[in-house]
Amino acid sequence: MKNTLVALSLILAAGAVEAQKARPIDVKVVQVNDRRTKGHFSRLTLAVELPSVKLGEVQASRVLLTKAVDDSGADLKIPSEDEPQLQTNSSLMYLEGDALKKPASISIEMNNPARDATKVAEVRGEIELFMPARDPNSVATIAKFMNQSGKALSHKALKANGVEITMVSAAQIEAEKKKGAAAKRKEAEAEGYGAEYVETMVNSFMEMFFAPQENDVVLRIKDPKKRIESITYVDAKGAVKPVMMNEEEGFTVLSTWSEKPAADWGLRVNMKTAKNLVRYPFVIADVALP
Amino acid sequence: MRQVVAGAFVLLLGVTVHAQSGVKLELVDVVDDRISAGMMRGSLQLQANLTGTGLDRINAARLIVKEAKDDRGNDLLADREPPDFSARNVNAGILSVSLKQPPRSSRSVSVKGTIEMFVPARDPSTTLKVPNALGKLDAPINHKGLKAAKMSITPLSPAQYAKVKESQKITEADLEKIRAEGKAQGVDQKEIEMAIEFAQLMSEMDGPLPENAIILSGKEKDFDRIQSLEFLGSDGEPINITSRSSSTRGDDVLQVLQPSGEVPRNATMQLIIMTDKSKMSVPFELKNVPLP
Repeated sequence: MKNTLVALSLILAAGAVEAQKARPIDVKVVQVNDRRTKGHFSRLTLAVELPSVKLGEVQASRVLLTKAVDDSGADLKIPSEDEPQLQTNSSLMYLEGDALKKPASISIEMNNPARDATKVAEVRGEIELFMPARDPNSVATIAKFMNQSGKALSHKALKANGVEITMVSAAQIEAEKKKGAAAKRKEAEAEGYGAEYVETMVNSFMEMFFAPQENDVVLRIKDPKKRIESITYVDAKGAVKPVMMNEEEGFTVLSTWSEKPAADWGLRVNMKTAKNLVRYPFVIADVALP
Repeated sequence: MRQVVAGAFVLLLGVTVHAQSGVKLELVDVVDDRISAGMMRGSLQLQANLTGTGLDRINAARLIVKEAKDDRGNDLLADREPPDFSARNVNAGILSVSLKQPPRSSRSVSVKGTIEMFVPARDPSTTLKVPNALGKLDAPINHKGLKAAKMSITPLSPAQYAKVKESQKITEADLEKIRAEGKAQGVDQKEIEMAIEFAQLMSEMDGPLPENAIILSGKEKDFDRIQSLEFLGSDGEPINITSRSSSTRGDDVLQVLQPSGEVPRNATMQLIIMTDKSKMSVPFELKNVPLP
C-alpha cells in the first residue's frame, strides 16, 4: 500500500509543480461579507491582508482550506472535487508605484454561516502565492515577438522549464488544415464511403477547422511539466496587457478584447517553479459576523 | 417532514399579496448582504415581481415603502429617495425594495407600501410626437405638447456639447465641497478621497462623440419622466439606437444617443412621458418574510 502511495505521489509530482512549503503567515481580516440569499452568489467572503507580503509581488493566489467552521459548529467549506485554480491578481493591471508596496490581499470564500452564528470560529488551511520575482528563471519576456511568426521562441527561462513555444503563421495553419483534410479523406476512403460522401466530409472538416480572428496570436506550446501559469503581452512602456488563452485544434490562441499586439510589444510567459510558488499555512479564529 | 415542508410553502405563499387592481406582488428573492467594514454598506433587499391580470398595460413600476419592520420591532425604513420607475422589460420586470440591515438575530421582516405603476393607456397625452426635433440645435424644442407637459429638451450641436462638458469638469472647488459635505456627514477621510478618485476617474472616461450622435440636454426632473425616447424614420418606424449614455451634473442631464446611421434633421422624436393621469398605485403588504 505504501509503495502504491509513493508511486502515486511521484506521478502527481511529475504532472505539477510542487509548491514550496513556508512557515505560517500572519493574516489580517479587513472585511467580512456574509451575502445571504436563496438566489445566486450566496456566500461568506473574508477579505484578508498579508502584512508580510507586498501586493506587487503576488501575481496569482489561491486558498486551500482544510477547516472552516462557525460557532454553531456548521461546516463552511464549499464542497468541491477539484482544487481551486490560481486566481490572477488583477489589481496589478492598474496599480503602480507605492500602491504596489501595500500588503497583498486575498479573498477566502466559504458557505454562509448559520443565521444564529455570531462568529467564524476557525478557518484553517494554506495560502498559495505565485511570486515570479522570486525566481529569475521563471519569467520569459520575448521582445518584439510579432516579427517571429513561424519561428520557435528562444529564451533561457523557457529552456530552464522545458517549455517550447512556436509562433504559428497563417501559412502553417493552412498547411495543418490541408494535412488534416488529407488524413480525413484517407480515413473515410479506407472505411469504404463513396466519393461524394468523402468529399462532403472533407469539405465539412475544412469549413469547421479553426480560423483565428484578426487580432489573435496563435502558438504551438509544449509544456510537459505544466509550468506555464499565464501569458501576457507587454507594451513598449512595460505595461502588462492581459490576454485570454484558448486551446483550438492543438494550438494555443491568444486573444485580447480589442487591441492587436503592436510590433514593439513583448510576449511574457510566467512559469511556476518550486522557488516562486509558496504555500503558507494560516489560521484565522473568532471573527465576528456582521 | 412533509408537514414541515407544506408549512414552509404556505408561509411563502403568504407573502403573495392581492392588490385591488388585480395586480399581485410576488416575492422572488431576499438578499441580506451583510458587510462588516469598508466603503460598501450592507443592505437588505427584497426583490419582487408583478403578477396577475392587465400586466401588459403596465409600462413601468416601482415600489414605495411606507413601513418596514423586523420581527423584533426594529424600524428598517431606509432614509433614501424613492426608487426610479423600472421598465417592465428590464431585468425580467423585477422590482426591488432596499431596507436598512436588520440585526443578525432577526428572523423575518414585514413591509407595507404601494406599487406605483405607469399605465400609458390611461392618458393619451403620454405619447408625444415632435416633428423636426433636430431642426434647430442649441435651442429648446418649441412644441406645444412639451410645453403642456411642462418639459424642456434642447438638442445640442457637437460644439455646444464640448462647451457644456468643459464647464462640467470637476474643479478644486468642487472637490473641496465634496470633502466638506463628506466630513459633515461623518464619512471617513480615506473613503472621501476614494470617492473623489472614483468621481475623477468617471469624469475622465468620456470618449469622443460617436458618429452621427444625437445630443439632448435638459433638467433631470424632465428626463426622469421620459419612459421612452425614439426617433422615427421616414417609414414611421423607430431608428435603431445602438447605445445611449446619460450623465448628470447637479440638475442638468446630458444624453448622447448613437444611432446606427445618420438621423435626418427633420426626423420626428417620439416620447412616452409619465403624467399624473397615467400613474396608478395600489397598496401592497409583505408579511413575515423569512430572512435567509
